[in-house]
Amino acid sequence: MDDRKLQIFIDSLLPLLKSAVAFTVPLTLISFAIGLLLAILTALARLSQWKILNLIARFYVWIIRGTPLLVQLFIIFFGLPSIGVTLDPFYAAVIGFSLSVGAYGSEIVRAAILSIHKGQWEAAYSLGMTRLQALRRIVLPQAARVSVPPLANSFISLVKDTSLAASITYVEMFRTAQQIVATTFEPLLLYCEAGLFYLALSTILSSLQNYLEKRLDRFSAR
Amino acid sequence: MIEVRNLHKSFGSLEVLKGIDLKLEKGKVLVIIGPSGSGKTTLLRCFNLLEQPDEGFLRIGGVTLEFKGGSKLKRDQILKLRGQSGMVFQSYNLFPHMTALENVMEAQVTVKGKSKSEARAYALEMLVKVGLGDKADSYPHQLSGGQQQRVGIARAMAMDPEVLLFDEPTSALDPELVGEVLRVMKSLAAGGMTMIVVTHEMKFAAEVADWVIMVDKGRIIEEGPPKDVLENPRSPRAAQFLNLLTETV
Repeated sequence: MDDRKLQIFIDSLLPLLKSAVAFTVPLTLISFAIGLLLAILTALARLSQWKILNLIARFYVWIIRGTPLLVQLFIIFFGLPSIGVTLDPFYAAVIGFSLSVGAYGSEIVRAAILSIHKGQWEAAYSLGMTRLQALRRIVLPQAARVSVPPLANSFISLVKDTSLAASITYVEMFRTAQQIVATTFEPLLLYCEAGLFYLALSTILSSLQNYLEKRLDRFSAR
Repeated sequence: MIEVRNLHKSFGSLEVLKGIDLKLEKGKVLVIIGPSGSGKTTLLRCFNLLEQPDEGFLRIGGVTLEFKGGSKLKRDQILKLRGQSGMVFQSYNLFPHMTALENVMEAQVTVKGKSKSEARAYALEMLVKVGLGDKADSYPHQLSGGQQQRVGIARAMAMDPEVLLFDEPTSALDPELVGEVLRVMKSLAAGGMTMIVVTHEMKFAAEVADWVIMVDKGRIIEEGPPKDVLENPRSPRAAQFLNLLTETV
């Protein structure tokens, strides 16, 4: 690596770090939080005895899983204005990513709830708990443990997927890298550098996953 | 205290209970025996509506329910009846994410609305009663099967039920652990607890039961004091079943 390249690499560190901290990380965290809530609600709707709720949930998951995330983002950001809904790129991105996490996550949460042995429900019922109490106090805490690894997968995917927000003009980390490339003409260097930042973020999340698993493992013999 | 009349239950086209009648007074122990698939566990599960009977009449303590043609019960009715009984499961079904103490506290707080400190004190009292006062802070996976089942008994007792239901409480246990659970059950019976026990432990039935019923193919084929039913069964089918049990032991 010659001196010029090294200098560009070093000069880019701070802008990339800034955009990661100021834009990529908040976008990821907010989208994941909303997405997780959506996922739990959708999973509960799928498991509910109300046919109509079940149908709505199925429809939602079908649409989101069946179409590319990039297409969804374009519809929300570039498409909706033609029916009078104009969104800030940040909000458009949050909506797009939350819907995506919600749809994929709902299948994870649903599977986790179904994996809890029927005897746990029965024990809760036999003690006089309602369905909601059994769910909240007995089943969901156990399902949470089961769903940590697959949800961590979704979370890590999401960090990387936020780079798609660059395509709807949201200046997150990847967009910042693109802008630096435009002035320095060093695509290989800058995109690799951006890649390293994503790798670092994913690594942090993986260790967070390990920590969570250990913490939740205190009650299990596995 | 407990009264059942003409109880019917089908799973699809399979009729599991074909009209069960029984009565049990307060403080008495009823043991239900019978071959597997006879419907005895289903009968027990009807008492706290883990299975909903299709037809018949059920009274536990002050709560009465009538079932007709599979009509749906109101949630309040179900909860009210469940409040009358506690259940001990074959596979314990302790909550694995809670300590023994928390297992026994949980429903006292969520269902009865007791304060945590009140629930804790009572839970500890129940654990001491089943001989596990020193295991309060253990998680279920740290306990032996016999200990887990005793926590299960403490958990059910903490709700002050009118009657305790036992679904083959010792069937999943290693032979050397059966005794400790049966001893706890005996002491409960001696303390005046009303109990309905589905079991294959004939010695327990002989010693503790006030009344034994034998169920086969969804009907009560034999009933009476343990001495009569276990030693002098009237029907050939009952004699055959009892022979089978003593042979295998």
